[in-house]
Amino acid sequence: MKIKQTQGLIASIICAIIMIGLLVSENTQLGSSQAETPERITLINSGKAGGSFNARTQMYKEGLTAAGYNVQYENIGKISQAVKMFKEASEPTIMVYANNQVYKQDLFHTENNFIIAEYQQPLYVCRTNTSKDKTGVLTVAHGKGYDPALLTSLLGSDITLVPYKNSGAMLKGILGGDVDMMVNNQGKSFKYMKSGNGTCEASDVLPVMVATVIGTNIDVQKIRKVIFDITMDLKFIEYHTSRKLVRPTSSWQQELAFTQELEKGYEVK
Amino acid sequence: MNELIAVSTGLFAGTITGIVPGAGVMVAMIVASPLLMHFDVLQLLLFYMSLASMVQFTGTIPAVYLGVPGETNSLPAVIEGTKFNKRKMAKLAIGICAVGSVLGSLVAVAITYGLLSVLVEHMTVFFSNATKFYLYIFIIVFCLLVYNKKNILVNLLLCAVGFMLSVPGESDISPDFRYTFGIEDLQFGIPLIPVLIGFLIVPTIAKMFSASNSNVFLPNIDIGFCKVIKYFRKKLILSSLRGSIIGYLCGFVPGVSTVLSTNASYSFEKKLHPNNPGKLLVSSETANNSGQFASMLPLLLIGIPITGSEIVLYSMLVDAGWSPFQFDNVANNADMIFRQIVPWFVVANIVGLIVAWPLARKILNVFANSKKYMIVILAVGMLLLNTYLGILDYRVWLYTVCLFVFSCIGLLIKKYETVPLIFMFILGNDIEGVFFRQMLI
Repeated sequence: MKIKQTQGLIASIICAIIMIGLLVSENTQLGSSQAETPERITLINSGKAGGSFNARTQMYKEGLTAAGYNVQYENIGKISQAVKMFKEASEPTIMVYANNQVYKQDLFHTENNFIIAEYQQPLYVCRTNTSKDKTGVLTVAHGKGYDPALLTSLLGSDITLVPYKNSGAMLKGILGGDVDMMVNNQGKSFKYMKSGNGTCEASDVLPVMVATVIGTNIDVQKIRKVIFDITMDLKFIEYHTSRKLVRPTSSWQQELAFTQELEKGYEVK
Repeated sequence: MNELIAVSTGLFAGTITGIVPGAGVMVAMIVASPLLMHFDVLQLLLFYMSLASMVQFTGTIPAVYLGVPGETNSLPAVIEGTKFNKRKMAKLAIGICAVGSVLGSLVAVAITYGLLSVLVEHMTVFFSNATKFYLYIFIIVFCLLVYNKKNILVNLLLCAVGFMLSVPGESDISPDFRYTFGIEDLQFGIPLIPVLIGFLIVPTIAKMFSASNSNVFLPNIDIGFCKVIKYFRKKLILSSLRGSIIGYLCGFVPGVSTVLSTNASYSFEKKLHPNNPGKLLVSSETANNSGQFASMLPLLLIGIPITGSEIVLYSMLVDAGWSPFQFDNVANNADMIFRQIVPWFVVANIVGLIVAWPLARKILNVFANSKKYMIVILAVGMLLLNTYLGILDYRVWLYTVCLFVFSCIGLLIKKYETVPLIFMFILGNDIEGVFFRQMLI
């Protein structure tokens, strides 16, 4: 028994030494690489495989690498965690973002972090064919990040709001017959229309979604040009065209002002 | 190449897991998590499939040779296998089990192929909240009734603790962070790895430490490949087919899955042939493999894990960006199962056949004699794993505190099966969302 205890003690000491070593080496690595590679940039991917955030981040990664940057790719996969990392970053960091995230993440677009508005799209309101003749209260699926008060004020009070985790879950919900309507992004709404189970219309009252790229600890002017050039690449243009995504044509100052104006809508509580 | 890496690592992990008593598929998944973090969805599925299949093969080896179940489904193999061993026929027992296991796997694939087109046609039924609602009720009832010798009170407490641990942070239905007590790191919830290590691995290590197994091999006669095949074809094929079908159906039962497959098939065969250890052994071991394939289908088709190890897989799949069964992807997913998973499943079975038959005793010799080293490696590895993942997640202190707290609790409750707790911890948010929506709709 004593031998087992001694073995356990030795194992614990070895673990503790290795843990300290890991922590120290992590910090040393960060410090030294900052000094040696000034062109290093961290790119945070908060998107899931198959989603637009992920696809766009991948294209930026390729573009930045081609432009000579040493890209540190951080696959976070969860927007809230990605925003935390972004806020705490001490070296040049960028990530794709959208104005409809600001309400929850408390990270608003400013002159210091705004790089470009990549595209904009309206939110769509979809309705099932079977609910067209339905009278009374309608059930409406919405993303959990949407402000319920804003939705009720815009869609009317004669509805029951049913929150879903994300746009994909909403799509499955309406296809499974859970709800009569859904408020969803353009991509999922197009997929729903393709199923033939209902129709969707672009909403002119719900806030427009603007997909942006933001950064911290960066030379905004310099990186804006690099990112803009990447979005002018054929691969990017094809991506936007295939998804019917509208590119803004105004100056970055106007794009920022437009994005900030929209963000006010998300502050309604 | 990526698929080959996933399958070969899964097979290697499966070989060790099956042979080391006490280590299950779930433990292997956690130990391999630093590797699995870099896998994509298909690689994760292939790794799990290879691991789980291999465990069914190699779990039989210590059961027959040493009378120690390599994994929880191997009890019938212990009872019937030792009868062969005493008659110096262990090699025959291992051989017929291996052949039966391959047959069971192939039968499961064939049945699935026949059923899948029907499932695909009615897929939207599985998207509905109501379907998920009733399935979750079913799973919770099973959690309460199956584990810890059907002690409902204990299972209820474990479920409640698991659910409470899932509550802090983001929920699936509200944008707000809850029960974070001002700790910013809790906004992203209690981390999964310390929970798994504390409540699963630590009790497993403690059990492995206290368990003693004899490494005494009885002499046995060398029986050739052709003789085994001939014996199997003439005497055991019907038992094997019966086992495959019973195992397949039982594989769908949440919580118990392959354990039920093995035992139901064994009991059924015992009614037909009570004094034929060959038929009994083959029937239960065939059911094992058939049930293993069937148990993966609810996860692949509707995204609901039904076994303990599948919950860990589910959590990793979601982290890798998996979204189960998008409606415009139904055909692709069916295609993926048969074009990308099934061929590797067959390969895994062939490798399993080789490992669990001609190489059985050699492998057992290597691993059975290095138990104490494996325990130390496992303990140190888990501590390092927790720290490494904590650093990657920028929450190393939360990971460390959680590991310490959960390990202490895990040791205190080591005599209980903690699977209900893990189930509710991983699925808690989804269950809450499904139940909440069911009230609104």
